[in-house]
Amino acid sequence: MSVSRNNPPMNRYTVLVAALLFVSGGYVTAQADPISVQARLVLGTSKEQKDQMEVSAAIKSKLARVFKWKHYYELNSKRMNIADAATKSAKLSRAASIKVNNKKNGKVAVSLFSKGKMLVQKTQNLKPGSHMVLAGSTASDSAWFIVLSKSK
Amino acid sequence: MNENEIQLKIQALLDGELTGSEAEDLRARIETDDRLRELHARLTAVRGLMDGTELPRTLPLPGDFHWSQIAQAIEREDRETKRLARPVPRANWLLRWVMPLAGAACLVLLLTLQLNAPPDLGILLSSDHELELSDDEIDVMTYNTGDDAMSIVWLDYAIDLRPDTLQLWLD
Repeated sequence: MSVSRNNPPMNRYTVLVAALLFVSGGYVTAQADPISVQARLVLGTSKEQKDQMEVSAAIKSKLARVFKWKHYYELNSKRMNIADAATKSAKLSRAASIKVNNKKNGKVAVSLFSKGKMLVQKTQNLKPGSHMVLAGSTASDSAWFIVLSKSK
Repeated sequence: MNENEIQLKIQALLDGELTGSEAEDLRARIETDDRLRELHARLTAVRGLMDGTELPRTLPLPGDFHWSQIAQAIEREDRETKRLARPVPRANWLLRWVMPLAGAACLVLLLTLQLNAPPDLGILLSSDHELELSDDEIDVMTYNTGDDAMSIVWLDYAIDLRPDTLQLWLD
């Protein structure tokens, strides 16, 4: 008398569990986490303005390393807590506003608007401690900066 | 010592079963006694003739040994049959069908997410920087610091930096 013995189901389940882990891992990494982005409107100028608040030393040193201006004043600051795959807007001045989109894989897409018209959109992987700067000149010998940084 | 004992002693000598002193004494007696010498020679000749002529004999197995082997084999078969015939628990049935379905659903979800990802239409600056301009009239320069701690997009465009009056009013 011979009794055929089925293969133990362990191998099949091991493969299935491994496949599920692989798939769920890919799904998790494809998702974005909620982020907190700080947007600062900064004026760079050579003239001292005592009535304005200076930007933080860390940002000032980074800007001064690249640009010629001696003084950097923070005109406005907005913090945005952005959920996964969500977009938030912030108005930084009478004409300038930004939209920040929390994309997957740690990327953020920042759109700059002036008087309601989009000027530029920059997408990059914004790491905590690094800054994305959108900047331009003004009519006088000064410059505007929108400095974006991501909290940890 | 009678004849039978003498014969057994000489046989023991030939088989190497006597101690050293007993063997020496007996050899001395064989040297001096013609009758013992003759008996020793005869037994030595018989021993030589019998060497290699004995047939091997195996011990017979008891009759119940084979029956016990058969009974153990039958019990083993019965246990194996009962184990395989045990009904499959409901949880195993669920695992057999639900897990592949769940895996397939996850794969479909992943593929759907990847297909729905928006296409990248911007300008590729480096490995993870993209720039999209809406106005070709605006001159743009980009700059990244060496340590990638700061990326700059410089626009030849002046924006109104005056504060928002509505916000001032709300503050």
